[in-house]
Amino acid sequence: MTLFLARHRAILLAYLGMIVLLALTSFFSPGFLAGSHLRTLTVLAAFIGIVALGQTFVIIGGGIDLSLPWVLNCAAILMTLIAKGQDGPLLWVIPLLLVAGAFIGAINGIGIAVFGVPPIIMTLAVNVILQGGILVYTGGTPPATAPQLVQFLAVGRIGPIPVVAVIWLILAVAASFLLSKTAFGRQLYAVGTSAAVAEFSGVPIVRTSVLAYTLSGFTAALAGMLLTGYSAQAYLGMGDPYLFTSIAAVAIGGASILGGSGHYIGTIAGAFVLTILTGLLPALNLSNGALLIVYGVVILVTVSLASEAFSDLAAALRAVLRGGRATAGKEPS
Amino acid sequence: MDLLQASAVSKRYGGIAALSGAEFHAAAGEVHALLGENGAGKSTFIQILAGAVRPDEGMINFDGAPFRAANPSAAQAAGISAVFQELSLIPDLTVEQNIWFRHEWRSPLRMIRRKALREKTLELFARYAFPAIAPDQEVRRLTLADRQVVEIAKALARDPKVLILDEATSSLAPRETEWLLGLATRFAGEGRLVIYISHRLQEVRQVAKRVTVFRNGQTVAAHDTASVSDDEIITEMLGRRMERLYPERRDTATAKLALKVRGLSAGSRLRDVDFDLREGEVLGVGGLQGHGQRELFQALFGIGKSRGSIELWGREMTARGPRQALTGRDGIALVPEDRRGQGLLLSKSVRENLTLAVIPRFSSGGILSARREKALVAEMMTFLRIKAKTPDQVAGTLSGGNQQKVVFGKMLLTEARVLLLFDPTRGVDVGTKGEIFTLMRDLAAKGYAILFYSSDQPELVHVADRVAVMQNGRMAAILEGAGISEDGILRAAMIEKH
Repeated sequence: MTLFLARHRAILLAYLGMIVLLALTSFFSPGFLAGSHLRTLTVLAAFIGIVALGQTFVIIGGGIDLSLPWVLNCAAILMTLIAKGQDGPLLWVIPLLLVAGAFIGAINGIGIAVFGVPPIIMTLAVNVILQGGILVYTGGTPPATAPQLVQFLAVGRIGPIPVVAVIWLILAVAASFLLSKTAFGRQLYAVGTSAAVAEFSGVPIVRTSVLAYTLSGFTAALAGMLLTGYSAQAYLGMGDPYLFTSIAAVAIGGASILGGSGHYIGTIAGAFVLTILTGLLPALNLSNGALLIVYGVVILVTVSLASEAFSDLAAALRAVLRGGRATAGKEPS
Repeated sequence: MDLLQASAVSKRYGGIAALSGAEFHAAAGEVHALLGENGAGKSTFIQILAGAVRPDEGMINFDGAPFRAANPSAAQAAGISAVFQELSLIPDLTVEQNIWFRHEWRSPLRMIRRKALREKTLELFARYAFPAIAPDQEVRRLTLADRQVVEIAKALARDPKVLILDEATSSLAPRETEWLLGLATRFAGEGRLVIYISHRLQEVRQVAKRVTVFRNGQTVAAHDTASVSDDEIITEMLGRRMERLYPERRDTATAKLALKVRGLSAGSRLRDVDFDLREGEVLGVGGLQGHGQRELFQALFGIGKSRGSIELWGREMTARGPRQALTGRDGIALVPEDRRGQGLLLSKSVRENLTLAVIPRFSSGGILSARREKALVAEMMTFLRIKAKTPDQVAGTLSGGNQQKVVFGKMLLTEARVLLLFDPTRGVDVGTKGEIFTLMRDLAAKGYAILFYSSDQPELVHVADRVAVMQNGRMAAILEGAGISEDGILRAAMIEKH
C-alpha cells in the first residue's frame, strides 16, 4: 500500500485535500463531523462515485463519456415507468436496465474504436439521442414514483451503514481489482498511454475500449436507479449535474484527462472532495447563482492543482521564489 | 581566444547528475565534434547552449562575454542555433513558413509578405546549395529526411554564429549526408563554429577538426581529430576497450524457410515484392530512404492493408495484424522505427513495457500473476543487461540504448522466431550498438530469422548475410557474399532498372 501511494502521489494529494476540506468545513459549520452528517456525505459521494466509476475506466483508456447524464436519466425513468411503483417487477427490471445501459456503452465504444468517431462527438450524440428518445417516449408526463425496494437501496441502512455505501464499497473493490490485477486493466492503461504503442504490441485495442465504455454505461444506469430511490422519484434532467462531477471526480483523483494514468482509489477521494465542497459552500451564505460560480471556480482550481501541468508550473514558481539563479548553490539531493 | 568556453558546467535532475563539471572549448572557424555514449551528458550540454536547460553551476563564455540564455529564443538571438534529433516543425505549415516561423516579414496589416518570404528562402537555399525542396510544400507531405533538411534551414535562417547539429545525419540518405558535411565545413570556413554530434565516427573524421569526448557527465578528452584513432576515441567514450563493433560473421543459415514472401504490395509504396528469409539468417534491407522499406516491414507485421502472400514457417498468414503476427514461437515480431511513438510507453515502467505484448504468458483467466511477471522481467533484464535501477523505473528516463533494449526485450519475450528490426541502432550509443549486433548473431545461431533494415550502410555490410536492396517499392537486387559492399548497395539502389 505504501508503495502504491509512493507511485501515485496525485492520489495521496487527493486524500490530503479531502481531509483539509473536512477540517475546514467542520470549522465553518460545527457539528459537520457528526455521525449522521458523515453518513449523508457518504451517501451523496456514493452517487458521484458510482457514476464516476465508468468514467474513470473510460478516461484511463484515453476517452471520455459524455453520454452519462441521459443513460442515467433513461434508466431512472424507465424503471419507474415499467415497475409502476411495485417492488415485484424490479427483479427483472433492474437487471434488464443494467444490461441496456451496458449495451448503450458498448455502442459508444464500437462507434469510437471501430468506426473512429471521436469520443466527444460519439458520446455527446448518444446523449442527445437518448434525451430525445425519452422525451418522445414519456411525452413529457411526470413519471411514476420509485418502488420501495430502490428507496431502501438508496436510503436504507444495515445497522449504522447506508446500503448504498455497501454497494459502492463492493463496486470500488471490483474496480480496483480490474484496474490493478487483470489483463484488461493493464491493457487499458497501455491503450490510454499510447494507442500506437499498444497496437504495435498486439494489445486488443477495440475490445479494451469497448469494455471500458460498456462498464461506463452499466454504472450510469445503476446510479440512475439508485438516485431515483434517493429522490423517491425520477425526473427529467436528474442526470445533468453528473456529467461535470463525474469528470471532475476523476481529474481530482489524480488521473490525467489525456489518459493512461489514475486509479479508482483516487476517484473515490475526488467524489468526497466534490461532495464536501457542495456542503461547505452554502455556509458562505451566497445566492444560488453565486454559489454555482464559486463551485465552478473551485473545481477548476482543484483539478488544476491535481494536474501535472500545474506541478510543472509549481516547480517553476518554486525555482523563481528560491532566487531562480542557476548558480544559487547546490541542491540537496 | 576561443569563441565558446564552458567550464565546470554541472546539471542535476533529482538525484541524477547529467553533467558534473564538464569542460568545452571551441574556436571560431572549426567543426568541433562532441562525442560520448548516450547518457554521457552531450544532450544536456547542448540543451544548455541552446537555452532549453539552465545549468546548476558553471561558467559559459561566448564571444568574449558571459552567456546565460533564459530560453531558446534568447540563445538564438545571441547567435546559437541548434538542430535537434526531435524535429520542431509544424506539419500544417509550408516549408518556408516553418523556416521563418515567428520571423516573417510582415506588412503593416500584419499579413505575411509572401514574396519576401519566398525570396529569402530561395536565397538561403542557394547560399548553402540545399537539396531541391519546394518552399510552398506543406511539411506534412515531406519525407523524414527532407524534414531534417528543413530543420537545418530553419537553424541557418537565424544567421547564427554557432550551429549545433545533434545527430542530424541519422535520418539522411548518403547524398544528403555528404551535402550536410559540406555545409558544416563551409559554415565553419566563414569564421563560425559548428558543434557536431554523431555516433558515426566516419563522418566525424571526415568533417571535424577537433573532438571533445564526454563520459558520465565529464569531459574525458579533447584532441585534434587527426591525432587519435577510432579505437582510442571509442575507448575514451566507453572507459574501457571495446573488442570490436561488429561480431564475427557466422554462417548459421539453414535450408529451412522461415519467411516466404510473394507478390507483396501495399499502396503505391510497396510493389510486388518477393523474397525468402531462411532460418538462422540475417537478411539486410537497404536502399535509399523512403523506397518502400518502412512499408515492407509494416506490411509483414500487419499494420495497414497489404496484398500478396506471406508464408511463415511454411504456413500461409491469412489474417493480418499485430495480434495475428505476435502468436508465440511461430509468430513474427517487430522492433519499430519510432522508439518513442511506436515502441515504448514512455511514462510507464520498464516492467510494464517489457511484458505488454505477453500478458497472457503471466495471467490465468484474465488475472495477472505478479510473481510470474516478475520472473519474466528479471530474466529478460539480465539477458539483455538492461541498466535500470529497478524494474519499476519509468522507461522514458532510461538512456536511448537501454530504451531500445526494452523494446527488444518486449519482442523477444513473445518468443517469435522471425524478427523484423527496423533501424534498431538509431540514436543508440556505440556500446549498445555492438551488443545489439552480437545479440542478432546469437539469435540467428539459435535458429531465429532476422530481417534487418538500417539507415547506416556499413551496418548492413558488416552484419547481414545477404542484403536486399529496394528501389521504388520493389526489390532491385539481392546481394550476397563478396557482392555486399557500400558501393554495391548504392549502385543497386540508384541505377534504374528497365
